[in-house]
Amino acid sequence: MSLLDILLVAIRVAFAAFVPLCFIAVCVWMERRGAGFFQDRAGPNRANIFGFRAAGLVQNLADGAKLFFKEDVISDHIQHKFYFVIAPLIVFFTAVVSFAVVPFADTLVLNGKSYIMQGIPIDIGILWFLALAGFGVYGIILAGWSSTNKYGLLGSLRSTAQVISYEIPMGLAIVSLLVVYGTVNLNGMAQFQGQLLFGFIPMWGIILQPVGFLIFVIAAFAETNRTPFDLAEGESEIVAGFHVEYSAMKFAIFFMGEYIAMFASSAIIVTLYFGGYQIPFLSTDTLITYAKPVAFLLMLGLPAGMYFFAGWIRKNNVSHYPRKNDPRVYEGNIYIKGFWGLVILLELILFAILLCKSGGAAAHIFVVLLQICTFLMKVTMMIFVYIWVRWTLPRFRYDQLQKIGWQVLLPAALLNIFITSAFVVALS
Amino acid sequence: MFAEWLFTGFSILSVLGAIGLVVFRHPMNGAMSLVVTLISLAGLYALLSAKLIFAIQLIVYAGAIMSLMVFIIMFLNVQTEDLPEEKSRFLYVIGGVVVLAPVFFFLKKVVQSLPGSEATIVGNGFGGVKEVGLVLFKDWLLPFEIVSILLLVALIGAVLLAGKRRMSK
Repeated sequence: MSLLDILLVAIRVAFAAFVPLCFIAVCVWMERRGAGFFQDRAGPNRANIFGFRAAGLVQNLADGAKLFFKEDVISDHIQHKFYFVIAPLIVFFTAVVSFAVVPFADTLVLNGKSYIMQGIPIDIGILWFLALAGFGVYGIILAGWSSTNKYGLLGSLRSTAQVISYEIPMGLAIVSLLVVYGTVNLNGMAQFQGQLLFGFIPMWGIILQPVGFLIFVIAAFAETNRTPFDLAEGESEIVAGFHVEYSAMKFAIFFMGEYIAMFASSAIIVTLYFGGYQIPFLSTDTLITYAKPVAFLLMLGLPAGMYFFAGWIRKNNVSHYPRKNDPRVYEGNIYIKGFWGLVILLELILFAILLCKSGGAAAHIFVVLLQICTFLMKVTMMIFVYIWVRWTLPRFRYDQLQKIGWQVLLPAALLNIFITSAFVVALS
Repeated sequence: MFAEWLFTGFSILSVLGAIGLVVFRHPMNGAMSLVVTLISLAGLYALLSAKLIFAIQLIVYAGAIMSLMVFIIMFLNVQTEDLPEEKSRFLYVIGGVVVLAPVFFFLKKVVQSLPGSEATIVGNGFGGVKEVGLVLFKDWLLPFEIVSILLLVALIGAVLLAGKRRMSK
Protein backbone atom coordinates (compact mmCIF):
# COMPACT_ATOMS: atom_id res chain seq x y z
CA MET A 1 0.00 0.00 0.00
CA SER A 2 1.43 3.29 -1.05
CA LEU A 3 0.93 6.51 0.86
CA LEU A 4 -1.78 7.56 -1.59
CA ASP A 5 -3.75 4.36 -0.97
CA ILE A 6 -3.68 4.89 2.79
CA LEU A 7 -4.62 8.55 2.40
CA LEU A 8 -7.62 7.75 0.22
CA VAL A 9 -8.80 5.00 2.58
CA ALA A 10 -8.53 7.46 5.46
CA ILE A 11 -10.45 10.08 3.49
CA ARG A 12 -13.30 7.78 2.53
CA VAL A 13 -13.69 6.33 6.02
CA ALA A 14 -13.53 9.80 7.57
CA PHE A 15 -16.15 11.04 5.11
CA ALA A 16 -18.50 8.15 5.87
CA ALA A 17 -18.09 8.65 9.62
CA PHE A 18 -17.99 12.42 10.04
CA VAL A 19 -20.36 13.73 7.40
CA PRO A 20 -23.40 12.07 9.06
CA LEU A 21 -22.27 13.52 12.39
CA CYS A 22 -21.92 17.01 10.88
CA PHE A 23 -25.31 16.64 9.27
CA ILE A 24 -26.90 16.21 12.72
CA ALA A 25 -26.31 19.91 13.28
CA VAL A 26 -27.59 20.77 9.80
CA CYS A 27 -30.68 18.57 10.21
CA VAL A 28 -31.60 19.95 13.64
CA TRP A 29 -31.13 23.48 12.38
CA MET A 30 -33.18 22.79 9.24
CA GLU A 31 -35.86 21.14 11.33
CA ARG A 32 -36.25 24.12 13.63
CA ARG A 33 -35.97 26.82 11.05
CA GLY A 34 -38.19 24.76 8.74
CA ALA A 35 -40.79 24.38 11.47
CA GLY A 36 -40.66 28.13 11.95
CA PHE A 37 -41.03 28.69 8.22
CA PHE A 38 -44.03 26.37 7.86
CA GLN A 39 -45.74 27.82 10.92
CA ASP A 40 -45.03 31.39 9.85
CA ARG A 41 -42.72 32.31 12.69
CA ALA A 42 -39.00 32.99 12.98
CA GLY A 43 -37.67 29.87 14.65
CA PRO A 44 -34.64 29.94 16.96
CA ASN A 45 -32.61 33.06 16.21
CA ARG A 46 -31.55 34.52 19.54
CA ALA A 47 -28.76 32.29 20.87
CA ASN A 48 -25.45 33.94 19.96
CA ILE A 49 -21.74 34.07 20.58
CA PHE A 50 -20.54 37.70 20.72
CA GLY A 51 -23.60 38.69 18.69
CA PHE A 52 -23.04 36.04 15.99
CA ARG A 53 -26.09 33.87 15.62
CA ALA A 54 -25.17 32.05 12.40
CA ALA A 55 -28.86 32.05 11.39
CA GLY A 56 -29.76 29.96 14.45
CA LEU A 57 -26.99 27.37 14.26
CA VAL A 58 -25.64 28.56 17.62
CA GLN A 59 -28.85 27.25 19.20
CA ASN A 60 -27.51 23.74 18.55
CA LEU A 61 -24.42 24.49 20.63
CA ALA A 62 -26.60 25.75 23.47
CA ASP A 63 -28.70 22.58 23.26
CA GLY A 64 -25.63 20.39 23.21
CA ALA A 65 -24.14 22.13 26.24
CA LYS A 66 -27.44 21.77 28.11
CA LEU A 67 -27.76 18.06 27.37
CA PHE A 68 -24.12 17.47 28.17
CA PHE A 69 -24.25 19.00 31.63
CA LYS A 70 -27.65 17.67 32.60
CA GLU A 71 -27.82 15.03 35.29
CA ASP A 72 -27.85 11.56 33.80
CA VAL A 73 -30.62 9.72 35.66
CA ILE A 74 -31.06 5.95 35.71
CA SER A 75 -34.13 5.27 37.86
CA ASP A 76 -33.96 2.60 40.55
CA HIS A 77 -36.82 0.59 39.08
CA ILE A 78 -34.78 -0.22 35.98
CA GLN A 79 -33.56 -3.77 36.42
CA HIS A 80 -31.61 -4.37 33.22
CA LYS A 81 -29.24 -1.42 33.32
CA PHE A 82 -26.95 -2.91 30.68
CA TYR A 83 -29.70 -2.99 28.05
CA PHE A 84 -30.92 0.40 29.19
CA VAL A 85 -27.50 1.93 28.53
CA ILE A 86 -26.70 0.04 25.35
CA ALA A 87 -30.05 0.75 23.61
CA PRO A 88 -29.32 4.34 22.49
CA LEU A 89 -25.86 3.26 21.36
CA ILE A 90 -27.39 0.58 19.11
CA VAL A 91 -29.72 3.10 17.48
CA PHE A 92 -26.88 5.58 16.96
CA PHE A 93 -24.30 3.08 15.74
CA THR A 94 -26.54 1.26 13.25
CA ALA A 95 -27.60 4.60 11.77
CA VAL A 96 -24.00 5.73 11.26
CA VAL A 97 -22.84 2.41 9.82
CA SER A 98 -25.79 2.12 7.42
CA PHE A 99 -24.44 5.17 5.57
CA ALA A 100 -21.09 3.43 5.02
CA VAL A 101 -22.10 1.71 1.76
CA VAL A 102 -23.46 4.80 0.03
CA PRO A 103 -21.11 6.05 -2.70
CA PHE A 104 -20.63 9.80 -2.51
CA ALA A 105 -18.66 10.07 -5.77
CA ASP A 106 -17.81 7.93 -8.75
CA THR A 107 -14.77 5.67 -8.56
CA LEU A 108 -11.68 7.87 -8.55
CA VAL A 109 -8.97 6.84 -11.03
CA LEU A 110 -5.47 8.05 -10.12
CA ASN A 111 -2.31 6.78 -11.86
CA GLY A 112 -4.28 3.93 -13.40
CA LYS A 113 -5.54 2.70 -10.03
CA SER A 114 -9.18 3.03 -9.08
CA TYR A 115 -10.32 4.05 -5.61
CA ILE A 116 -13.87 3.37 -4.56
CA MET A 117 -15.64 6.29 -2.88
CA GLN A 118 -17.73 4.76 -0.11
CA GLY A 119 -17.01 4.01 3.55
CA ILE A 120 -16.80 0.21 3.33
CA PRO A 121 -15.60 -1.36 0.06
CA ILE A 122 -18.37 -3.96 -0.02
CA ASP A 123 -20.48 -4.58 -3.09
CA ILE A 124 -23.69 -5.89 -1.50
CA GLY A 125 -24.79 -2.27 -1.17
CA ILE A 126 -28.50 -2.11 -0.57
CA LEU A 127 -28.59 -5.45 1.28
CA TRP A 128 -26.25 -3.96 3.89
CA PHE A 129 -28.62 -1.03 4.34
CA LEU A 130 -31.60 -3.38 4.80
CA ALA A 131 -29.66 -5.43 7.38
CA LEU A 132 -28.65 -2.37 9.38
CA ALA A 133 -32.17 -0.91 9.20
CA GLY A 134 -33.37 -4.17 10.78
CA PHE A 135 -30.79 -3.92 13.57
CA GLY A 136 -31.92 -0.44 14.54
CA VAL A 137 -35.11 -2.02 15.90
CA TYR A 138 -33.18 -3.74 18.68
CA GLY A 139 -32.25 -0.38 20.13
CA ILE A 140 -35.88 0.71 20.25
CA ILE A 141 -37.12 -2.62 21.64
CA LEU A 142 -34.47 -2.75 24.34
CA ALA A 143 -35.03 0.88 25.28
CA GLY A 144 -38.77 0.46 25.71
CA TRP A 145 -38.54 -2.89 27.40
CA SER A 146 -35.75 -2.08 29.86
CA SER A 147 -37.44 1.18 30.86
CA THR A 148 -40.04 -0.92 32.75
CA ASN A 149 -42.53 1.80 32.00
CA LYS A 150 -45.94 1.43 30.40
CA TYR A 151 -45.47 4.33 28.02
CA GLY A 152 -42.03 3.09 27.06
CA LEU A 153 -43.29 -0.41 26.42
CA LEU A 154 -46.25 0.83 24.36
CA GLY A 155 -43.95 3.05 22.32
CA SER A 156 -41.52 0.30 21.55
CA LEU A 157 -44.32 -2.19 20.75
CA ARG A 158 -45.76 0.23 18.23
CA SER A 159 -42.41 1.09 16.77
CA THR A 160 -41.31 -2.52 16.35
CA ALA A 161 -44.56 -3.63 14.75
CA GLN A 162 -44.35 -0.65 12.43
CA VAL A 163 -40.73 -1.16 11.40
CA ILE A 164 -41.19 -4.90 10.84
CA SER A 165 -44.31 -4.38 8.72
CA TYR A 166 -42.83 -1.60 6.63
CA GLU A 167 -39.64 -3.51 5.92
CA ILE A 168 -41.70 -5.75 3.61
CA PRO A 169 -42.97 -3.10 1.15
CA MET A 170 -39.54 -1.46 1.34
CA GLY A 171 -37.82 -4.72 0.38
CA LEU A 172 -40.31 -5.33 -2.43
CA ALA A 173 -39.85 -1.81 -3.80
CA ILE A 174 -36.11 -2.51 -3.84
CA VAL A 175 -36.73 -5.82 -5.66
CA SER A 176 -38.45 -4.06 -8.55
CA LEU A 177 -35.60 -1.57 -8.61
CA LEU A 178 -33.06 -4.40 -8.77
CA VAL A 179 -34.93 -5.79 -11.78
CA VAL A 180 -34.39 -2.46 -13.54
CA TYR A 181 -30.77 -1.85 -12.51
CA GLY A 182 -29.58 -5.45 -12.56
CA THR A 183 -27.22 -4.91 -9.63
CA VAL A 184 -27.29 -4.62 -5.83
CA ASN A 185 -24.19 -2.47 -5.80
CA LEU A 186 -25.11 1.14 -5.04
CA ASN A 187 -22.23 2.49 -7.11
CA GLY A 188 -23.42 0.39 -10.05
CA MET A 189 -26.92 1.82 -9.59
CA ALA A 190 -25.60 5.37 -9.56
CA GLN A 191 -23.57 4.70 -12.72
CA PHE A 192 -26.68 3.24 -14.39
CA GLN A 193 -28.55 6.43 -13.60
CA GLY A 194 -25.90 8.49 -15.39
CA GLN A 195 -27.30 7.26 -18.74
CA LEU A 196 -29.92 9.14 -20.73
CA LEU A 197 -33.38 7.85 -21.60
CA PHE A 198 -34.33 8.55 -25.26
CA GLY A 199 -31.18 10.63 -25.36
CA PHE A 200 -32.47 13.56 -23.31
CA ILE A 201 -34.05 12.43 -20.00
CA PRO A 202 -31.70 11.41 -17.18
CA MET A 203 -32.35 7.73 -16.40
CA TRP A 204 -33.09 8.37 -12.75
CA GLY A 205 -34.90 5.80 -10.65
CA ILE A 206 -37.81 8.13 -10.04
CA ILE A 207 -38.52 8.25 -13.79
CA LEU A 208 -38.15 4.50 -14.32
CA GLN A 209 -39.91 3.50 -11.09
CA PRO A 210 -42.37 6.18 -9.94
CA VAL A 211 -44.60 3.74 -8.03
CA GLY A 212 -41.62 2.05 -6.44
CA PHE A 213 -40.32 5.47 -5.42
CA LEU A 214 -43.55 6.37 -3.63
CA ILE A 215 -43.63 3.03 -1.82
CA PHE A 216 -39.98 3.28 -0.85
CA VAL A 217 -40.27 6.83 0.44
CA ILE A 218 -43.36 6.03 2.53
CA ALA A 219 -41.62 2.96 3.95
CA ALA A 220 -38.45 4.96 4.62
CA PHE A 221 -40.45 7.56 6.54
CA ALA A 222 -41.95 4.76 8.62
CA GLU A 223 -38.55 3.14 9.17
CA THR A 224 -37.04 6.34 10.50
CA ASN A 225 -40.04 6.93 12.82
CA ARG A 226 -40.74 10.34 11.38
CA THR A 227 -44.12 12.05 11.29
CA PRO A 228 -46.69 11.02 9.95
CA PHE A 229 -45.47 7.67 11.29
CA ASP A 230 -44.00 8.74 14.62
CA LEU A 231 -46.48 6.78 16.71
CA ALA A 232 -43.57 5.44 18.73
CA GLU A 233 -43.22 8.86 20.29
CA GLY A 234 -46.79 10.11 20.08
CA GLU A 235 -46.39 12.87 22.69
CA SER A 236 -50.11 13.38 23.10
CA GLU A 237 -50.85 9.70 23.89
CA ILE A 238 -47.75 8.05 25.30
CA VAL A 239 -45.65 11.04 26.39
CA ALA A 240 -42.44 10.21 24.52
CA GLY A 241 -42.71 6.51 23.89
CA PHE A 242 -39.61 4.41 24.09
CA HIS A 243 -37.29 7.16 25.34
CA VAL A 244 -39.52 8.45 28.13
CA GLU A 245 -37.08 7.28 30.86
CA TYR A 246 -33.99 8.68 29.20
CA SER A 247 -32.34 11.93 30.13
CA ALA A 248 -29.23 13.98 29.33
CA MET A 249 -26.69 12.44 26.95
CA LYS A 250 -28.55 9.12 26.60
CA PHE A 251 -31.55 10.99 25.27
CA ALA A 252 -29.22 13.09 23.12
CA ILE A 253 -27.78 9.95 21.55
CA PHE A 254 -31.30 8.76 20.65
CA PHE A 255 -32.02 12.18 19.23
CA MET A 256 -28.82 12.25 17.18
CA GLY A 257 -29.34 8.66 16.05
CA GLU A 258 -32.74 9.62 14.70
CA TYR A 259 -31.29 12.47 12.67
CA ILE A 260 -28.44 10.31 11.37
CA ALA A 261 -31.01 7.69 10.35
CA MET A 262 -32.85 10.44 8.50
CA PHE A 263 -29.64 11.51 6.78
CA ALA A 264 -28.72 7.92 5.87
CA SER A 265 -32.14 7.13 4.47
CA SER A 266 -32.14 10.39 2.49
CA ALA A 267 -28.77 9.36 1.09
CA ILE A 268 -30.19 5.96 0.14
CA ILE A 269 -33.27 7.53 -1.48
CA VAL A 270 -31.04 9.90 -3.44
CA THR A 271 -28.77 7.05 -4.55
CA LEU A 272 -31.63 4.76 -5.54
CA TYR A 273 -34.00 7.23 -7.17
CA PHE A 274 -32.28 10.55 -7.81
CA GLY A 275 -29.10 9.49 -9.52
CA GLY A 276 -26.86 9.56 -6.44
CA TYR A 277 -23.82 11.72 -7.12
CA GLN A 278 -24.64 12.09 -10.85
CA ILE A 279 -25.05 15.59 -12.22
CA PRO A 280 -27.93 15.45 -14.74
CA PHE A 281 -26.75 15.27 -18.39
CA LEU A 282 -23.10 15.25 -17.28
CA SER A 283 -21.82 11.73 -16.75
CA THR A 284 -18.43 11.17 -15.12
CA ASP A 285 -16.61 10.70 -18.43
CA THR A 286 -18.13 13.84 -19.93
CA LEU A 287 -17.17 15.79 -16.82
CA ILE A 288 -13.57 14.58 -16.95
CA THR A 289 -13.29 15.49 -20.62
CA TYR A 290 -14.86 18.91 -20.15
CA ALA A 291 -13.37 19.64 -16.71
CA LYS A 292 -11.94 22.98 -17.84
CA PRO A 293 -15.11 24.47 -19.38
CA VAL A 294 -17.09 23.36 -16.31
CA ALA A 295 -14.49 24.95 -14.00
CA PHE A 296 -14.62 28.14 -16.07
CA LEU A 297 -18.44 28.29 -15.91
CA LEU A 298 -18.28 27.75 -12.17
CA MET A 299 -15.73 30.58 -11.89
CA LEU A 300 -18.25 32.85 -13.60
CA GLY A 301 -21.27 31.53 -11.72
CA LEU A 302 -19.91 31.62 -8.17
CA PRO A 303 -19.45 35.39 -7.83
CA ALA A 304 -22.82 36.04 -9.49
CA GLY A 305 -24.54 33.67 -7.04
CA MET A 306 -22.62 35.19 -4.14
CA TYR A 307 -23.70 38.70 -5.20
CA PHE A 308 -27.37 37.76 -4.86
CA PHE A 309 -26.71 35.81 -1.65
CA ALA A 310 -25.01 38.88 -0.15
CA GLY A 311 -28.01 40.98 -1.13
CA TRP A 312 -30.31 38.44 0.52
CA ILE A 313 -28.29 38.50 3.74
CA ARG A 314 -28.26 42.30 3.73
CA LYS A 315 -32.04 42.41 3.27
CA ASN A 316 -32.92 39.81 5.90
CA ASN A 317 -30.30 40.15 8.61
CA VAL A 318 -31.64 43.39 10.12
CA SER A 319 -33.53 44.22 13.28
CA HIS A 320 -37.27 44.55 12.82
CA TYR A 321 -37.41 47.87 14.62
CA PRO A 322 -35.22 50.94 14.26
CA ARG A 323 -31.99 50.67 16.27
CA LYS A 324 -28.94 52.85 16.45
CA ASN A 325 -25.85 51.12 14.98
CA ASP A 326 -27.90 47.99 14.29
CA PRO A 327 -25.73 45.06 15.54
CA ARG A 328 -27.43 42.75 13.04
CA VAL A 329 -26.28 44.84 10.11
CA TYR A 330 -22.74 44.65 11.50
CA GLU A 331 -23.13 40.87 11.91
CA GLY A 332 -24.47 40.50 8.38
CA ASN A 333 -21.57 42.49 6.94
CA ILE A 334 -19.09 40.14 8.59
CA TYR A 335 -20.92 37.11 7.18
CA ILE A 336 -20.83 38.66 3.72
CA LYS A 337 -17.09 39.28 4.02
CA GLY A 338 -16.53 35.71 5.18
CA PHE A 339 -18.51 34.27 2.29
CA TRP A 340 -16.68 36.47 -0.22
CA GLY A 341 -13.40 35.17 1.23
CA LEU A 342 -14.67 31.61 0.68
CA VAL A 343 -15.68 32.44 -2.89
CA ILE A 344 -12.20 33.90 -3.60
CA LEU A 345 -10.61 30.72 -2.22
CA LEU A 346 -12.82 28.57 -4.46
CA GLU A 347 -12.00 30.78 -7.44
CA LEU A 348 -8.29 30.24 -6.80
CA ILE A 349 -8.80 26.47 -6.67
CA LEU A 350 -10.82 26.54 -9.90
CA PHE A 351 -8.15 28.71 -11.52
CA ALA A 352 -5.51 26.14 -10.52
CA ILE A 353 -7.62 23.48 -12.25
CA LEU A 354 -7.75 25.65 -15.39
CA LEU A 355 -3.96 25.75 -15.39
CA CYS A 356 -3.55 21.98 -14.93
CA LYS A 357 -3.26 19.45 -17.73
CA SER A 358 -6.70 18.45 -19.03
CA GLY A 359 -7.77 14.85 -18.35
CA GLY A 360 -5.06 14.53 -15.67
CA ALA A 361 -5.24 13.77 -11.97
CA ALA A 362 -6.44 17.29 -11.18
CA ALA A 363 -9.45 16.86 -13.47
CA HIS A 364 -10.32 13.55 -11.81
CA ILE A 365 -10.12 15.03 -8.31
CA PHE A 366 -12.12 18.06 -9.44
CA VAL A 367 -14.88 15.78 -10.75
CA VAL A 368 -14.95 13.84 -7.49
CA LEU A 369 -15.29 17.07 -5.53
CA LEU A 370 -18.08 18.25 -7.82
CA GLN A 371 -19.91 14.96 -7.38
CA ILE A 372 -19.52 15.08 -3.60
CA CYS A 373 -21.07 18.57 -3.61
CA THR A 374 -23.90 17.38 -5.87
CA PHE A 375 -24.55 14.40 -3.64
CA LEU A 376 -24.64 16.47 -0.45
CA MET A 377 -26.91 19.01 -2.11
CA LYS A 378 -29.37 16.33 -3.21
CA VAL A 379 -29.30 14.77 0.26
CA THR A 380 -29.98 18.15 1.86
CA MET A 381 -32.99 18.62 -0.42
CA MET A 382 -34.29 15.18 0.52
CA ILE A 383 -33.86 16.03 4.21
CA PHE A 384 -35.89 19.15 3.51
CA VAL A 385 -38.64 16.91 2.10
CA TYR A 386 -38.60 14.96 5.36
CA ILE A 387 -39.00 18.17 7.32
CA TRP A 388 -41.63 19.47 4.92
CA VAL A 389 -43.74 16.33 5.42
CA ARG A 390 -43.27 16.39 9.17
CA TRP A 391 -44.60 19.90 9.60
CA THR A 392 -47.40 19.49 7.06
CA LEU A 393 -49.07 16.16 7.82
CA PRO A 394 -50.64 15.11 11.12
CA ARG A 395 -49.89 11.75 12.71
CA PHE A 396 -51.73 8.63 11.52
CA ARG A 397 -53.83 6.51 13.81
CA TYR A 398 -52.23 3.16 14.55
CA ASP A 399 -54.77 1.02 12.67
CA GLN A 400 -54.54 3.37 9.67
CA LEU A 401 -50.80 2.94 9.69
CA GLN A 402 -50.98 -0.84 9.60
CA LYS A 403 -53.74 -0.73 6.97
CA ILE A 404 -51.64 1.42 4.65
CA GLY A 405 -48.69 -0.88 5.11
CA TRP A 406 -50.41 -4.20 4.52
CA GLN A 407 -53.40 -3.38 2.34
CA VAL A 408 -52.07 -0.64 0.09
CA LEU A 409 -48.29 -0.68 -0.06
CA LEU A 410 -47.79 -4.46 -0.10
CA PRO A 411 -50.15 -5.23 -3.04
CA ALA A 412 -48.93 -2.14 -4.90
CA ALA A 413 -45.31 -3.24 -4.47
CA LEU A 414 -46.10 -6.78 -5.65
CA LEU A 415 -47.98 -5.49 -8.69
CA ASN A 416 -45.11 -3.13 -9.41
CA ILE A 417 -42.66 -6.05 -9.44
CA PHE A 418 -44.79 -7.96 -11.96
CA ILE A 419 -45.25 -4.97 -14.27
CA THR A 420 -41.59 -3.99 -14.08
CA SER A 421 -40.41 -7.54 -14.76
CA ALA A 422 -42.78 -7.82 -17.74
CA PHE A 423 -41.41 -4.56 -19.17
CA VAL A 424 -37.79 -5.54 -18.62
CA VAL A 425 -38.31 -8.97 -20.21
CA ALA A 426 -40.22 -7.48 -23.16
CA LEU A 427 -37.60 -4.80 -23.82
CA SER A 428 -34.49 -6.97 -23.52
CA MET B 1 -3.08 -13.08 9.31
CA PHE B 2 -5.74 -10.46 9.98
CA ALA B 3 -8.40 -12.83 8.65
CA GLU B 4 -7.21 -15.49 11.11
CA TRP B 5 -7.59 -13.10 14.02
CA LEU B 6 -11.07 -12.23 12.81
CA PHE B 7 -11.89 -15.92 12.49
CA THR B 8 -10.74 -16.57 16.07
CA GLY B 9 -12.73 -13.62 17.34
CA PHE B 10 -15.93 -14.55 15.55
CA SER B 11 -15.65 -18.21 16.58
CA ILE B 12 -15.15 -17.35 20.24
CA LEU B 13 -18.05 -14.89 20.14
CA SER B 14 -20.38 -17.39 18.49
CA VAL B 15 -19.54 -20.11 21.02
CA LEU B 16 -19.93 -17.67 23.90
CA GLY B 17 -23.29 -16.56 22.54
CA ALA B 18 -24.46 -20.15 22.26
CA ILE B 19 -23.34 -20.89 25.83
CA GLY B 20 -25.14 -17.74 26.97
CA LEU B 21 -28.34 -18.85 25.26
CA VAL B 22 -28.32 -22.08 27.27
CA VAL B 23 -27.05 -20.72 30.59
CA PHE B 24 -28.92 -17.41 31.02
CA ARG B 25 -32.19 -17.74 32.86
CA HIS B 26 -33.87 -14.55 31.69
CA PRO B 27 -35.36 -15.02 28.18
CA MET B 28 -34.20 -11.57 26.99
CA ASN B 29 -30.60 -12.40 27.91
CA GLY B 30 -30.92 -15.68 26.05
CA ALA B 31 -32.34 -13.99 22.96
CA MET B 32 -29.63 -11.34 22.90
CA SER B 33 -26.93 -14.05 23.22
CA LEU B 34 -28.47 -15.79 20.23
CA VAL B 35 -28.27 -12.50 18.31
CA VAL B 36 -24.55 -12.33 19.13
CA THR B 37 -24.12 -15.89 17.83
CA LEU B 38 -26.01 -15.16 14.62
CA ILE B 39 -24.04 -11.99 13.92
CA SER B 40 -20.71 -13.72 14.49
CA LEU B 41 -21.83 -16.55 12.20
CA ALA B 42 -22.51 -13.88 9.56
CA GLY B 43 -18.94 -12.70 10.09
CA LEU B 44 -17.70 -16.26 9.52
CA TYR B 45 -19.69 -16.47 6.28
CA ALA B 46 -18.14 -13.19 5.14
CA LEU B 47 -14.68 -14.63 5.84
CA LEU B 48 -15.59 -17.55 3.58
CA SER B 49 -16.34 -14.92 0.88
CA ALA B 50 -20.02 -15.92 0.85
CA LYS B 51 -21.25 -12.34 0.57
CA LEU B 52 -24.87 -13.11 -0.23
CA ILE B 53 -25.23 -15.54 2.65
CA PHE B 54 -23.58 -12.96 4.91
CA ALA B 55 -26.21 -10.40 3.94
CA ILE B 56 -29.09 -12.88 4.20
CA GLN B 57 -27.89 -14.08 7.60
CA LEU B 58 -27.90 -10.48 8.83
CA ILE B 59 -31.22 -9.50 7.26
CA VAL B 60 -33.28 -12.64 7.87
CA TYR B 61 -31.86 -14.34 10.95
CA ALA B 62 -30.15 -11.64 12.99
CA GLY B 63 -32.54 -8.93 11.79
CA ALA B 64 -36.05 -10.14 11.13
CA ILE B 65 -36.46 -13.45 12.97
CA MET B 66 -34.64 -12.46 16.13
CA SER B 67 -36.37 -9.10 16.34
CA LEU B 68 -39.70 -10.96 16.16
CA MET B 69 -38.53 -13.25 19.00
CA VAL B 70 -37.44 -10.28 21.10
CA PHE B 71 -40.71 -8.56 20.22
CA ILE B 72 -42.67 -11.53 21.56
CA ILE B 73 -40.60 -11.70 24.74
CA MET B 74 -41.37 -8.03 25.23
CA PHE B 75 -45.04 -8.37 24.23
CA LEU B 76 -45.79 -11.24 26.60
CA ASN B 77 -43.49 -9.73 29.24
CA VAL B 78 -41.87 -13.07 30.05
CA GLN B 79 -40.00 -12.78 33.36
CA THR B 80 -37.78 -15.26 35.15
CA GLU B 81 -40.57 -16.03 37.63
CA ASP B 82 -42.86 -17.20 34.81
CA LEU B 83 -40.50 -19.98 33.79
CA PRO B 84 -40.82 -23.45 35.33
CA GLU B 85 -38.32 -24.42 38.01
CA GLU B 86 -35.55 -26.60 36.69
CA LYS B 87 -34.23 -28.31 39.78
CA SER B 88 -32.42 -31.13 38.04
CA ARG B 89 -30.83 -29.02 35.32
CA PHE B 90 -27.27 -29.81 36.44
CA LEU B 91 -28.04 -33.51 36.16
CA TYR B 92 -29.19 -32.91 32.60
CA VAL B 93 -26.03 -30.95 31.84
CA ILE B 94 -23.82 -33.77 33.15
CA GLY B 95 -25.86 -36.32 31.19
CA GLY B 96 -25.51 -34.23 28.05
CA VAL B 97 -21.75 -33.95 28.48
CA VAL B 98 -21.44 -37.73 28.95
CA VAL B 99 -23.50 -38.40 25.82
CA LEU B 100 -21.71 -35.81 23.68
CA ALA B 101 -18.15 -36.59 24.83
CA PRO B 102 -17.56 -39.38 22.26
CA VAL B 103 -18.85 -37.13 19.46
CA PHE B 104 -16.47 -34.41 20.61
CA PHE B 105 -13.47 -36.76 20.61
CA PHE B 106 -14.48 -38.10 17.20
CA LEU B 107 -14.69 -34.58 15.77
CA LYS B 108 -11.34 -33.68 17.34
CA LYS B 109 -9.76 -36.70 15.69
CA VAL B 110 -11.32 -35.82 12.32
CA VAL B 111 -10.09 -32.22 12.50
CA GLN B 112 -6.59 -33.30 13.48
CA SER B 113 -6.38 -35.81 10.64
CA LEU B 114 -7.25 -33.16 8.02
CA PRO B 115 -4.37 -32.64 5.61
CA GLY B 116 -2.83 -29.19 6.10
CA SER B 117 -3.16 -27.20 2.90
CA GLU B 118 -2.90 -23.53 2.05
CA ALA B 119 -6.30 -21.86 1.90
CA THR B 120 -6.73 -19.47 -1.01
CA ILE B 121 -9.52 -17.05 -1.80
CA VAL B 122 -11.83 -18.41 -4.48
CA GLY B 123 -11.95 -16.09 -7.47
CA ASN B 124 -14.56 -15.26 -10.10
CA GLY B 125 -16.85 -13.51 -7.65
CA PHE B 126 -17.61 -16.72 -5.78
CA GLY B 127 -20.49 -16.27 -3.38
CA GLY B 128 -21.56 -12.94 -4.84
CA VAL B 129 -25.19 -12.08 -5.48
CA LYS B 130 -24.99 -12.60 -9.24
CA GLU B 131 -23.12 -15.93 -9.09
CA VAL B 132 -25.42 -17.46 -6.49
CA GLY B 133 -28.45 -16.24 -8.43
CA LEU B 134 -27.21 -17.79 -11.67
CA VAL B 135 -26.52 -21.15 -10.03
CA LEU B 136 -29.84 -21.07 -8.21
CA PHE B 137 -31.94 -20.29 -11.27
CA LYS B 138 -30.00 -22.44 -13.76
CA ASP B 139 -29.02 -25.64 -11.97
CA TRP B 140 -31.39 -25.67 -9.01
CA LEU B 141 -34.53 -24.08 -10.42
CA LEU B 142 -36.94 -26.92 -9.58
CA PRO B 143 -35.83 -27.40 -5.94
CA PHE B 144 -35.90 -23.63 -5.51
CA GLU B 145 -39.46 -23.38 -6.80
CA ILE B 146 -40.58 -26.34 -4.68
CA VAL B 147 -39.11 -24.73 -1.58
CA SER B 148 -40.85 -21.46 -2.36
CA ILE B 149 -44.19 -23.27 -2.80
CA LEU B 150 -43.60 -24.98 0.54
CA LEU B 151 -43.01 -21.61 2.19
CA LEU B 152 -46.15 -20.22 0.53
CA VAL B 153 -48.20 -23.15 1.84
CA ALA B 154 -46.84 -22.58 5.33
CA LEU B 155 -47.68 -18.88 5.09
CA ILE B 156 -51.24 -19.48 3.93
CA GLY B 157 -51.66 -22.13 6.60
CA ALA B 158 -50.52 -19.71 9.31
CA VAL B 159 -52.95 -17.04 8.10
CA LEU B 160 -55.79 -19.57 7.94
CA LEU B 161 -55.13 -20.95 11.43
CA ALA B 162 -54.89 -17.46 12.93
CA GLY B 163 -58.19 -16.47 11.27
CA LYS B 164 -59.99 -19.67 12.32
CA ARG B 165 -59.40 -19.19 16.04
CA ARG B 166 -60.82 -15.71 15.96
CA MET B 167 -63.95 -16.88 14.13
CA SER B 168 -64.69 -19.63 16.63
CA LYS B 169 -64.71 -17.08 19.43
